[in-house]
Amino acid sequence: MSSPTDPLLSVRDLRTSFPIRSSVLRRKAGAVQAVSGVSFDLPAGRTLGLVGESGSGKTTLARTVIGLEPPESGQVVFDGQDLLTLPPAELRQARRQIQMIFQDPYASLNPRLTVEQIISEAWLISPGVVPRDRWAAEVKDLLARVGLNPDHADRYPHQFSGGQRQRVGIARALALRPRLVICDEAVSALDVSVQAQVLNLLVDLQQELGLSFLFIAHDLSVVRHISDEVAVMYLGKVVETGTTAQIFAAPVHPYTQALLSAVPVPRPWAAPPRQQILLKGDIPSPVSPPSGCRFRTRCWKAQDRCATEEPALAVRLGEHSSACHFPELPVAAAGAR
Amino acid sequence: MDDPLLAVRDLTVRFRTRAGTVTAVDRVGFDLAEGETLAILGETGSGKSVTAQALMGLVPRPAGEVTGGRIVYAGTDLLTRPRSERRRLNGTDLAMVFQDPLSSLNPVFRVGAQIGELFRRRRGASRAEARRQAIELMDRVGIPAASRRVDDYPHQFSGGMRQRVMIAMAIALQPRVLIADEPTTALDVTVQAQVMALLAELKAEHRMAMILISHDLGVVAGVADRVMLMYAGRVVETGGLREVYETTGHPYTRGLMASIPALDGPRERLTPIKGSPPDLTRLSVSCPFQPRCDFATDVCGTERPELAPVPGRPGSHRAACHHAKEVAADVVPH
Repeated sequence: MSSPTDPLLSVRDLRTSFPIRSSVLRRKAGAVQAVSGVSFDLPAGRTLGLVGESGSGKTTLARTVIGLEPPESGQVVFDGQDLLTLPPAELRQARRQIQMIFQDPYASLNPRLTVEQIISEAWLISPGVVPRDRWAAEVKDLLARVGLNPDHADRYPHQFSGGQRQRVGIARALALRPRLVICDEAVSALDVSVQAQVLNLLVDLQQELGLSFLFIAHDLSVVRHISDEVAVMYLGKVVETGTTAQIFAAPVHPYTQALLSAVPVPRPWAAPPRQQILLKGDIPSPVSPPSGCRFRTRCWKAQDRCATEEPALAVRLGEHSSACHFPELPVAAAGAR
Repeated sequence: MDDPLLAVRDLTVRFRTRAGTVTAVDRVGFDLAEGETLAILGETGSGKSVTAQALMGLVPRPAGEVTGGRIVYAGTDLLTRPRSERRRLNGTDLAMVFQDPLSSLNPVFRVGAQIGELFRRRRGASRAEARRQAIELMDRVGIPAASRRVDDYPHQFSGGMRQRVMIAMAIALQPRVLIADEPTTALDVTVQAQVMALLAELKAEHRMAMILISHDLGVVAGVADRVMLMYAGRVVETGGLREVYETTGHPYTRGLMASIPALDGPRERLTPIKGSPPDLTRLSVSCPFQPRCDFATDVCGTERPELAPVPGRPGSHRAACHHAKEVAADVVPH
């Protein structure tokens, strides 16, 4: 169906909006466009990191890709098929291959089910993946694969620590043998010592199983560690995208530069010198985004043109795409050239 | 040398739980000088937040109780003083900024009234005077259009602006010690940078001492003079920021440093700390970090290490590890 060079997941001009209802009659009074024309490609076996502040639309984007939110328009092409136009039976088949790992390992596991029940529930819903007489053995395999004791299959979620629970969440996501796993802040709630264990596990699983990851996180050092490519989102749009090296070593969009400069580094005295950019204010409300460039209200480079003309995401400087009328290399990176 | 502004000795806090008694803070001690910033670092359950609660007299009762130690502030042991007297010190001498500003503000009162209440109750200010001071303070902590926003409710503020309101309330009565418990954990990274810059500015302006409680080694590196690492309710390492970060004397600190992905340089596989944090109801005589430690030998299972100077390092750099010398020299045995 698809040639090896085709991306596994291809998203085109995706838009997702939520209605705003009036307070009494609940009539539709307007809409918030949380995802506002997003496009990207994710090749098989690779990781795309999605970064941005809260309110940037990254979680809504993930939920739309997996089918938890209906999009307003656009395409979500998975393995050559547009999920938004697929008949229900085929859609179920395709959806099985996309799984999600959630942020909160405490809220995303049913406390009344054993780990074995939590994992095998997927096979109950999608029959034909694993025959019933293989369930117990397969659960043990999955638990071993994510670094848990296979003999703990009959335990309940509260008997595990936070990091172990997140491993259960990963085992559940792997139960249907997916090809794409969406990690929505999957390591954000974990303590750093445990977070590093789970990151290593994800990297190992990707290599063993050839998984693709759509990796959403607000921690930029985690995203840099795990991603092949990175897309930076701001108010529902991708403002800059490229390989991890391009985004982290030579960002050209002022928002990406500000985001990177705000990340606290553990040994500032040993890190390369960098320019601290302190952005003013907060991300504006997506209910009424600024005209033209959505970042202009917080941008120190904004000019008249930014208010009237929306900058398209295109290759403007260097070799990767950015959406800024005035792209520039950061001072340190420019000096290094 | 002058007496420190705040001297904590052998502070111990216990909680009664269904699973048994937990020593959440176990003989913790430190000094804090005027104008100094001490960071308390640790992960979930390390006892860092309970330490802050104990300093403020806010340990939840009856489950929790300060069972020993001294908190000497400006020459007086606060633990021997009646509750009413301690309450009077809160705000004027010791003040606290909490992690979650939304649950720390009262949702049904206007923000200006909540800030102004401090001036009315503690300084006897009139309603008009309190309002004027609230606006001035909101302006000082960088809330735009303060004279208009003074009449807004907490839910009308963004997370970053709410944290500014909390900071305004904490510094309103010009305390000498500001305790900030994970003040930026709930905030986005660009807003976190704004709030940390504001705290540093205010600290310099008022010559406040600050105790910053955090799990983030990076946030701490930007502001702290000294750091103190906690694990399982105990201090495991303490010293000057660079001393501790560069020549780590405890395997836990070392493990934390190795667990953080870098923002520059080559991408290498992370070396996490093995295992999970201990169950505080089941601590024994051993070093609490022993099951997760690559340096552990027989003595670690039988004898709990006390905080002691790291051999070959400046006297202020101390660690609670039988193998501190090897750790500091970066030699992994076996």
